[in-house]
Amino acid sequence: MSDVLDILEVDRGGAASSEINREKIIGPQRVAKRPGAPRGSRRPEGINRELYALLYSDNKEHPPLFPTEDVNKGYKQTKAKLGMRRVRPWRWTPFTNPARSDSAVLHHWRRVADEDKEYAFAKFNKKVDVVSFTDQEYQRHLQADGWSKAETEHLFDLCRRFDLRFIVMQDRWDRAKYADRSVEDLKGRYYSICSTLNKLRAEPGLPQTKEFVYDAAHERRRKQQLKRLFSRSPKQIEEEQHLLAELRKIEARKRERERKTQDLQKLINSADTEHRRLHKTPGTVKKKVVHVGNKPPRDRLDSASSGAGDAGGSIKFPDLRGSGVSLRSQRMKLPASIGQKKAKAIEQLVQELGIEMSPMPTEEISSQFNELRNDMLLLYELKMGLSSCEFELQTLKHQYEALAPGKTLDIPSSIAPSGLDINRPKTISQVLDIHSSQGTPTRKRKAALEQSKVLHKIKART
Amino acid sequence: MSESQDSVEGSGRMKGVTVVKPIVYGNLARPFGKKREEDGHTHQWTVYAKPYNNEDMSVYVKKVQFKLHDSYPNATRVVSKPPYEVTETGWGEFEVVIKIYFEDPNERPVTLYHVLKLFPSSGAPAPVVMGPLKTLVCEYYDEMIFQEPSLMMQQLLTSTRQITLGPYKHETDFEEKRQKTEAAINSARDKVKREIDDLRDKLKLAKETIARFRSEIEKSQAMH
Repeated sequence: MSDVLDILEVDRGGAASSEINREKIIGPQRVAKRPGAPRGSRRPEGINRELYALLYSDNKEHPPLFPTEDVNKGYKQTKAKLGMRRVRPWRWTPFTNPARSDSAVLHHWRRVADEDKEYAFAKFNKKVDVVSFTDQEYQRHLQADGWSKAETEHLFDLCRRFDLRFIVMQDRWDRAKYADRSVEDLKGRYYSICSTLNKLRAEPGLPQTKEFVYDAAHERRRKQQLKRLFSRSPKQIEEEQHLLAELRKIEARKRERERKTQDLQKLINSADTEHRRLHKTPGTVKKKVVHVGNKPPRDRLDSASSGAGDAGGSIKFPDLRGSGVSLRSQRMKLPASIGQKKAKAIEQLVQELGIEMSPMPTEEISSQFNELRNDMLLLYELKMGLSSCEFELQTLKHQYEALAPGKTLDIPSSIAPSGLDINRPKTISQVLDIHSSQGTPTRKRKAALEQSKVLHKIKART
Repeated sequence: MSESQDSVEGSGRMKGVTVVKPIVYGNLARPFGKKREEDGHTHQWTVYAKPYNNEDMSVYVKKVQFKLHDSYPNATRVVSKPPYEVTETGWGEFEVVIKIYFEDPNERPVTLYHVLKLFPSSGAPAPVVMGPLKTLVCEYYDEMIFQEPSLMMQQLLTSTRQITLGPYKHETDFEEKRQKTEAAINSARDKVKREIDDLRDKLKLAKETIARFRSEIEKSQAMH
């Protein structure tokens, strides 16, 4: 319905009056409403009529929102509301512009009503207050090397003319008379004079001296750096980003290694406590001694190793059912929290030593077996730690060789990675396969070499 | 609720009391020698659960439930008095779920899982014994731990009588097995401990070497 109204109304505005007259005849009652209705359906001007129809239905007179004042914030530009009222009188009036220096009298058309108001554009003539100095002041305080009085006066003249726009001033600097000055030179001279004058003129009791701190050297460097930054070739930009990414990667790996060495340290500590515990109960298998000796060191062990995960064998075997019936074999089950790799390592070691995966569960056997598995876990972790240490030694060795060509660092033979010599007796830990694939150690080593090269490059650049 | 006082039903739990009852469970299997025509069965087998010691389990055990493979009619076989066993014929190996229910209704039943063994396999870790008449035995040892049983239960557990007057033994020599296992575990522990010490020393050396290398590198960098 409102569509029809709108259509009619739109037509009405543009079409000839004859059509409108017809509408007038047909619907006299709508005439009175006309001024109201179109405004009602179009109230928030600036939105399409379709949009308005979507949003606000015909029944409601007002939109659900508060009508806002942002008439011109839509896309539509409102046209001037030219009313049919009487024209206000205008007069050809003379005026003076206070901004002018020559008090010329000009004329313009002005409304009689606005006759005595100030010239509207005078307020835009803002001027910067540039300090001025007397000759005595100059003689006494403001002399400087490389700046003659004439030059200084020229500088200040430019300041006043160009409102302290130093770039323009530098361009307008009189090169015929004086030496060429850079923007920093001009600024430096200006600010030093300002601060000196401020200090001089500061009245005691009124701490209004504004300190002008201007570091010309810094500014020069800064601009030079910006210039350089701007004029980099795309290749250089890419190279720099590449290096930054590498640096981030290196730092991340470094943090990883540090974390690992911390874990290692904890591991060694836990192995130490284990060591001490063994020496406390020398190889006895007596039930009571083992049980009594077990509890306190194990608590210590657990607390020491809790930081490093389950380093040093703090496998939580299902225990302490409280009241109720349970099976001993339940207590020997490996919990699921042990990762797949560790579980596999334990399995391999147990089999290597000729023990069943799940031996007959007497009290003695079950506790011994659990402890054995804890020890195996510790062994596994030590082996892992050792292998990462070996690897790190290799990396450091290569790094050193890169830095100091010709010299090298020797890795003690007992911890050398390729120490699979015949002299060493066969250990059960050899069963454990630390690396998932054969390729990984060489790949890691190559990556480490690359890292050290990149580090070297970065250091050489700075 | 009184804990240690003897209440009418004896349901108060005895704090700090633990009773251990070792049991043996498993199966015997005897092949026919040929495949039976009607149903293709090749073996006769008996799955059982019995106490390790010579005692009458029915004093504290209400019933034992053997859940067989679904292809058997009445797959859930319940045995209420000793001997707690089920004898059947078949052709395949499957898992039997053995559930032991106790006289004390407050105690939850224990569940044992046993994979029926009919065929001998080489290098089998499971205890496989060939007895007389080519009978194959596969049995396991386990222990039921009763923690804080009720007074009634405790009395039942500790007042069992012998079930047979004659000699009572199992197919598998568990005593021997126990000794062997203990010895193996002990020697394994010693070995592992020695290795741990060895690795620990190496690790220490490695850490020191790493520190040394690092300082060398720093020195070398400082010189440049």
